[in-house]
Amino acid sequence: MTGPLLAVLMAVQFDSTPKPHTVMAIAQVALINTFVNRVDAWVFKQDWARSGTRVWGEHLRLGWEWDEDAFTTNMFAHPYHGGLYFNAARANGIGFFQAVPYAIMGSWTWEYFGEKYRPSLNDWYMTSFGGITLGEVFHRITATIRDNQATGRGRTLRELAALPMDPIGSLNRLVRGQWRARGVNPPEHNPGSYVFRIGGGVRVAKRLIADSTSARTGAMLVDLLYGDPFATEYRSPFDVFGVRLMLSSNGGFSSLRASGRVYGTNLNNPAHRARHVLAVNTRYDYFKNPAQSVGGQSIEIGINSRWPIGSRGYAFRTSLFVDGILLGAIDASGTGLGVRTYDFGPGGGARWEFGFDRHGARFVRVFGQWEYIHAVSGATADHIVDFSGIEANIPITRGLGIAAHSTIFHRISRYSTAPKDERNYPEARLLLVWTKASGLKL
Amino acid sequence: MVLTAPVAPASAQRTDRPHRSGLWGELGAGPGRVRIACSGCTDVVTAGGVTSYVRIGGTVSDRVVIGFEVFSLLDRGFGFLSADSTSTAETATAAVVVLWFPSRRGFFFKGGAGIAAGQFTIPGTAGADTSNNAGIGLTFGVGWDFAISRKFAITTNFAAYVTAVGDVILPGRRVDDVIATMYQAGISVTFR
Repeated sequence: MTGPLLAVLMAVQFDSTPKPHTVMAIAQVALINTFVNRVDAWVFKQDWARSGTRVWGEHLRLGWEWDEDAFTTNMFAHPYHGGLYFNAARANGIGFFQAVPYAIMGSWTWEYFGEKYRPSLNDWYMTSFGGITLGEVFHRITATIRDNQATGRGRTLRELAALPMDPIGSLNRLVRGQWRARGVNPPEHNPGSYVFRIGGGVRVAKRLIADSTSARTGAMLVDLLYGDPFATEYRSPFDVFGVRLMLSSNGGFSSLRASGRVYGTNLNNPAHRARHVLAVNTRYDYFKNPAQSVGGQSIEIGINSRWPIGSRGYAFRTSLFVDGILLGAIDASGTGLGVRTYDFGPGGGARWEFGFDRHGARFVRVFGQWEYIHAVSGATADHIVDFSGIEANIPITRGLGIAAHSTIFHRISRYSTAPKDERNYPEARLLLVWTKASGLKL
Repeated sequence: MVLTAPVAPASAQRTDRPHRSGLWGELGAGPGRVRIACSGCTDVVTAGGVTSYVRIGGTVSDRVVIGFEVFSLLDRGFGFLSADSTSTAETATAAVVVLWFPSRRGFFFKGGAGIAAGQFTIPGTAGADTSNNAGIGLTFGVGWDFAISRKFAITTNFAAYVTAVGDVILPGRRVDDVIATMYQAGISVTFR
């Protein structure tokens, strides 16, 4: 198996110009599927990976079904896997929109030919649409981390740091000798403006561990605002995006959210002090807490506004978006047929935000979001989830600060054959954060 | 010559477009085939049907147009069991679609996502039982615009539609997590 893998990757070293390499991208997508399948079959002895022509024929005859995998597998691992397909295209010079079919077809071929289980429709959705959003986020973050002008140990550390987020891009660069070669950085290397925040502290919540008592656990926050809708005129998809990761010491991911602009335009004259910008975003959501395990792939459209106050860079900032959930998932009782404990379905909703910032770095943020999910697989149910909160970031010294967050998660689920389920989950976090911001001239 | 190119009137630039430009619309029909699968089912049901569709949209670039499509399939002789053909199955998909013309010719790829609905009507002794459901829809396909004039074209379409419409509850039977996959060959009139 390593033979063909090396053969294709070796070929790319003669292929390092920035023009698109369609054949190479298609070959690498096929190789990802072959590699994952063979490793699972030969190394991990997984029976599901022993696919063949008889299984392929059966899959083509029977078509799609819904699978029974764990929530984290379907809602995180599959979108991450989709990002590999997407970035096989991006790493070979293919543009954002042109890379979309690679995620869709990479997932389709995996579902039909990569495993013994029947093709799973939810996997196709999550891998394709989640892969596009997470893939482009990872592509741009890693382009920022990598620096073709850097040398020595620092350069190697940058390449290694990028590896988990964009392994296909890293392998291509390794084989092309780009881990060491000096050259021009791609346009994505410089986001123009960004705010990066990382912090750790405590998370206090009721029902975190037991039903009636409050408990404390460790929490970690990583927050990145890449570009700014007011500082960056729309040039290309995901020239502005936000991503937030929250980890908890008692359960790994508690949330991962990424939202990137695929289209944007000014709604008023950019020379005006108050600015209004229309944006169409793709969004990836993953939340896991005692009130709800919920996630999905959405497209949202809305308006970002900014009202400057005085001349020292302070401003109020608002956002109002409506969204359509292409496919969401939410934990539900009585889901039904198999071992799965959550429903799948489409939906829609809205979110709003009011903030106070200086030069684009937010000090206070009040926000809310409401979403409706209609189950098409699982329980016969309609779910409404909402959460709202307030976040304050108080600077102490240059870069260091204290962040205080208070969030309430709430859900109501109405089942046709079971009582209504309503849950609340308030949570508070106190974190020591380090902020690095650059390029904001608002 | 150097001066004339940049100041060519907008109408001239518009006619230079190889395919659809500005607001466009398409209305078509054709035969289709539906395959219905469900959770816990060991086999699938397939049937033929009549499909129709309408698309309307605008132009993003010389090669990409975006639009809104409504597609429906109707089969008046459907049955969830192989011996049965007394039911009426109707499905509809409303999706945002993107058409990509890779060259200046009329050939295009289509992809889209949206919402779907399914209705299954079973005649019975006390009238008819109907199960209505809503869900998600995806569509992919290829097509070709054959130009008749600058404004009109005949378009051929070959497309697949995947719609998941949830549980279908029939008299004495419940079909869980229904997924209908439809294949369609259609011909349409396009104004562009």
